[in-house]
Amino acid sequence: MEEKEVKQTLDDIREMMSKSSRFQAISGWSIVIIGLLAGVASWMAAAVIGVSDALPCFENLQRYAVLDTPSKIRIAALIAIALFAICLLTMFVFAIAKSRRHHLRFVFDKRMMQMLLDFFIPLAAGGLLSMALVMQGHYGLTSSIMLLFYGLALVNCSHYTYPILRYLGYAELLIGIIDCFTMSHALLFWFLGFSVMHVVFGIAYVLMFERKK
Amino acid sequence: MAIIDGLNKAFENKIRLGIMSVLAANGSADFATLKSLLELTDGNLASHTRHLEEAGYIRCEKSFIGRKPNTTYVITESGREAFAAHIAALERFLQGCRGE
Repeated sequence: MEEKEVKQTLDDIREMMSKSSRFQAISGWSIVIIGLLAGVASWMAAAVIGVSDALPCFENLQRYAVLDTPSKIRIAALIAIALFAICLLTMFVFAIAKSRRHHLRFVFDKRMMQMLLDFFIPLAAGGLLSMALVMQGHYGLTSSIMLLFYGLALVNCSHYTYPILRYLGYAELLIGIIDCFTMSHALLFWFLGFSVMHVVFGIAYVLMFERKK
Repeated sequence: MAIIDGLNKAFENKIRLGIMSVLAANGSADFATLKSLLELTDGNLASHTRHLEEAGYIRCEKSFIGRKPNTTYVITESGREAFAAHIAALERFLQGCRGE
């Protein structure tokens, strides 16, 4: 069984090289959960902002209609911030659990720090920019800016983990670009980018990397 | 696997091959990282790295982080070449199997 043995050796080498150089602890299910949470958040935002007059299920939320636009946006921003915090927590809890289960390394070493920086620097820039625009009363581009900078953050940190994360980044960028040339429907694009894309990508990720061998 | 041409005796051991894989992918790695990745004991890892060091494939750099001694292993140029040659030999063998 020489051939089998050699194949196994090459597979072991490949696995050790990628296990040691890539951050594999990201859990696919946490990506799916983030997508679902984003779906709930966009439903809440839709209720507050009142895009949904046409939908009967929002009738009991009409009390928000008395609010003026800046306070509606403020509530939406609070929802977004809360969502962001819950998603981060979900990511980390699932990543720690996965690394325990599969004996992956989960240490805040130089590599991990570099990956976090590469992810959070574009994200923080985008977050601050959209915050500034909202504070100055320009709401129109908020969703595109969130999508675009999130896409950049994903592309930027993808080489530390599974390179496929890059494609989720490209998808977010594409949706963000279409969004900024489209008048209105901002929440729809936001929902598409942050909810639908995460659920789809998360399931693909689970099927590709986390299926029992 | 003695019948395969071009294989490196130093890499016949699974653990040594593992150490070389980590170093080839990352350039360098410290003792604790190697230990946890390969799931080895201190003594076990030390004896294997000493072997590779004597062969000139890796280099050991000792330093201090604060007051804690820190050992980092770095792959050498000849280590890289030997590792690549070893993998090439394995792949050649596999291709030979398929060709028959």
